[in-house]
Amino acid sequence: MRKLGWALLAVFLLGGALSAWQVGFRPPDEYDDDAPIPPDANEKTEWAFARLKYPSIWRRRWRGGSWTTDYPRADRQFVQGVRRLSRVHACSAERVIDLSTDEIFYWPWVYAVEVGQWDLGEAEAARLREYLLRGGFLMVDDFHGTYEWQTFMASMRRVFPDRPVVDIDDKDPIFHVIYDLDERFQVPGVQYLYSGRLYERDGIEPKWRGIYDDKGRIMVAICHNMDLGDAWEWADDPRYPERFASLAYRIGVNYIVYAMTH
Amino acid sequence: MFEFLFKYPATVFAKGNLVLLSGWPVWILGAAVAALAAVLGWQVWRNSTLGARRVAVWLLETAFAALLLLLLWHPAISIASLKPQENIVAVLVDDSRSMGIREDGKTRIEQALATLNGGLLSDLKQKFQVRIYRFGADLERVDNTESLTAAQPASHLAASLRQMAAEASSLPIGAAIVLSDGAENSGGIELDTISQLKRRRLPVHTIGYGREHPARDVEIQDAVLPERALANSNVVAVVTLRQYGYDRQKTRLVARDGGKTLASREITLKGAGVDQTETLMIEAGAAGARSIEITVESLPDEENVRNNKLTRVVNVSAQKPRILYVEGEPRWEMKFIRRALEEDTALRLVSILRTTENKIYRQGIDHPSELEKGFPSKAEELFAFHGLIFGSVDANYFTPGQQELIRDFVDRRGGGVLFLGGRAALAEGGYSRPPFSDLLPVTLPDRKGTFHRDPAVLEMTPMGRESVILRLVEDPEANVERWKKMPPLADYQEVGEPKPGAITLAVRGRHPLLVTQNYGRGRTAVFATGGSWRWRMLQDHKDRTHEIFWRQFLRWLVAGTPGTVTSSTPKPVLYDEGAVTLAAEVRDKSFHLVSDARVEARIIGPGGATATVELTPNPQEQGAYTAAWSADEPGSYLAEIIATRGGEELGRDVVTFSREDSVAENFRTGQNRELLTRLSAETGGRYYRPNEVAKLAEEIQYSEAGITVRETRDLWDMPAVFLLALMLRAAEWLLRRKWGAV
Repeated sequence: MRKLGWALLAVFLLGGALSAWQVGFRPPDEYDDDAPIPPDANEKTEWAFARLKYPSIWRRRWRGGSWTTDYPRADRQFVQGVRRLSRVHACSAERVIDLSTDEIFYWPWVYAVEVGQWDLGEAEAARLREYLLRGGFLMVDDFHGTYEWQTFMASMRRVFPDRPVVDIDDKDPIFHVIYDLDERFQVPGVQYLYSGRLYERDGIEPKWRGIYDDKGRIMVAICHNMDLGDAWEWADDPRYPERFASLAYRIGVNYIVYAMTH
Repeated sequence: MFEFLFKYPATVFAKGNLVLLSGWPVWILGAAVAALAAVLGWQVWRNSTLGARRVAVWLLETAFAALLLLLLWHPAISIASLKPQENIVAVLVDDSRSMGIREDGKTRIEQALATLNGGLLSDLKQKFQVRIYRFGADLERVDNTESLTAAQPASHLAASLRQMAAEASSLPIGAAIVLSDGAENSGGIELDTISQLKRRRLPVHTIGYGREHPARDVEIQDAVLPERALANSNVVAVVTLRQYGYDRQKTRLVARDGGKTLASREITLKGAGVDQTETLMIEAGAAGARSIEITVESLPDEENVRNNKLTRVVNVSAQKPRILYVEGEPRWEMKFIRRALEEDTALRLVSILRTTENKIYRQGIDHPSELEKGFPSKAEELFAFHGLIFGSVDANYFTPGQQELIRDFVDRRGGGVLFLGGRAALAEGGYSRPPFSDLLPVTLPDRKGTFHRDPAVLEMTPMGRESVILRLVEDPEANVERWKKMPPLADYQEVGEPKPGAITLAVRGRHPLLVTQNYGRGRTAVFATGGSWRWRMLQDHKDRTHEIFWRQFLRWLVAGTPGTVTSSTPKPVLYDEGAVTLAAEVRDKSFHLVSDARVEARIIGPGGATATVELTPNPQEQGAYTAAWSADEPGSYLAEIIATRGGEELGRDVVTFSREDSVAENFRTGQNRELLTRLSAETGGRYYRPNEVAKLAEEIQYSEAGITVRETRDLWDMPAVFLLALMLRAAEWLLRRKWGAV
């Protein structure tokens, strides 16, 4: 009888966990209480902006780390664009996906910001590798210059020690699945409004790179030396140039639809 | 005893007609019986004090009086019988190899000769002229029984009977006696043979030899494989077995191709004499004609191991069917279905995805302009595909013309259509209206809100367990267990009841989830979810179940989709005979039937021998062409059928068949009593066991074939009549005595 009780409890908890992963908008501890939650935040949709919560090189580690950059405003603004520019059934509110759990496997598209500061342990690296090999798609953004690249690659080499990181060819479908993006340019962060510089640190040249799987499909789309997240976040600020925001939206929408078709 | 009571053998009554010789009308007899019954009734009622027992007395007296009246009308039996020494009795002895099987110390042929030489022949010769024939592959007259050695490679009883019926048109053959174990390698005695015998009024008496089943044997009764398969696809062999003497013992079912084991599975044998069906999943391999040998491993002390093996030919096609997937919104399901098929060398997936309101994204196309304008509007363009998948795309996305084209795609072209679940699919997408509602294998709810993004568990139905679509692992039991471990689907959609004739392969609780049906020349299926991608994302990246499911499902969808030319033969395996009919159906690119084509078969036989045969149009059937040909050598044959019109090729197809000699005799070696009994019953003869033949010579004379004389035989003086009269009177007397009325 006791065994049955435990079994029922396990089923209940597992079922609860499954449905929670599938459903819910659950604001994390880091959530800015001032940000209003959209009324349809709990809508069950095909796609949601899945923001990856990862450990960073700074002490704060899991709590309030670099993964929260631009959160949640960039996510929400971008989702509005996804809804308007494509037929993707998108949720108005983002989901925060903790890489220390298996929740990531329910979200085949995830976005990680400021990966120039991430610091994946072996467990997280193994989980992310398995996720990508099963067919998941990771978009990384908003990291700049040599140092942050090296930090990013230090963790990425734990995920894929041998897979090369290559510049994505202009002819790759990821640049044509909805919008033809042959002519791309550097998308600066909001610092551009104050500094007038397009780049940060020594990241002068924007790089659209990728890690491919054995079938020639992009698993990790790397946006280096640019800040699409800021472009989404500040898209409605009249000071932020429209052309940067527009390209950031187009790249983001293309990356989502590519992930859903390849 | 029967003959003592009724004066004549039972055959006389079975074959004769009852007649009344007095010449008085029968109605007078009826009226007289009625009048007498009334008088007796009135008499008994008036005089008796027996109460309710009066009825019994009245019945007995009336029966007695009726019997007497009947005798006054002079009953007799009219029967035709063969004129002595003017008729021929044909004795057909089965001389095939199965008659050489030894049982109880004697071969069957020895037992048959013992019957003939033990008195039957001499009895027959006293009344008739006797001709002895032996039959195996052919019917042949022999002078005596010494040449019967059970050496013929096959037994074609039906063909032999037809030959004999033909001879009966010029000879006074009065009856036929068949001594056989009932083996018939051509697949049975068809109606035409029975009709010929009936027309000649020729009774065929049969004497059965051999045990009805062996004591210890396992036999493959049949193995059914699809005649065609796609390269590297899985095909299911449905093998029927029967065993005696090995209840619940384990053995192994094996499929081989030229010595290479393709599949193997342990099975547990069921009860004796029970037809047991087992399935074996076989990988078809590369394109070409495959000769697949199905074997059940022999068990200790088996009496006959030659019936443990059967060979079937499967034509593995080199074509790569194309499937068009139409999706109305970006969905994970599409991504993962595409991925599942990417490694499949036999299928090609082409997709149209509505990425925005006004844009489509095409994948898998052959050239940049293909499907540029979206879903095809012309038959030639759409019918170039073999299957269609409709995802979460509103039915109104298709014009009325396109919708009718989709119906024709299934009905006329013979393609396969799969409907997936989704927020704009099935009931949500307006698929409740024709033609989609006609094509769907389920009804749809008349409401919205049927699509739910909640987990759903797929459960196999008994039909699903047998289906190749849901076979993830070879062993059926292990397959059931594997499905129980599959992660839940991401979503599901409510559908209504399966239509009559539809097959539900999987359910969600009690609700249909995966249902298939045949429609017109094609087939349709509904898989009421868009969330099978979870099987990919929630299982180890090395797990292939998601890929296996989709490959098998989509191969099923298109494997039966014909080309413009479809060829066939009614008997893919010819046992000990060469006559083969090649048939073809020819259509144009729009799949309309074509009757003015030139159709030619180029046949390659054993050893590379070639032949060319022209198929002629069948005036009864539009688009149908046939040719008769003879495969003279045993072995595998491949016929390529090519149809042209005005110098332009309409299409081509390949059909394979094989001739196997001296194989069929090893199967069904027990006596086929059912066949012998049916043959006798339908021709007016009788089935005899060897120990019952003493009266055969007497009974055989009652026949309407040959030279006959019709005679009438009195029935009034049968001892049974007097005994009946006596019993009626005695019964009345005994009853009255018991009641104290005497």
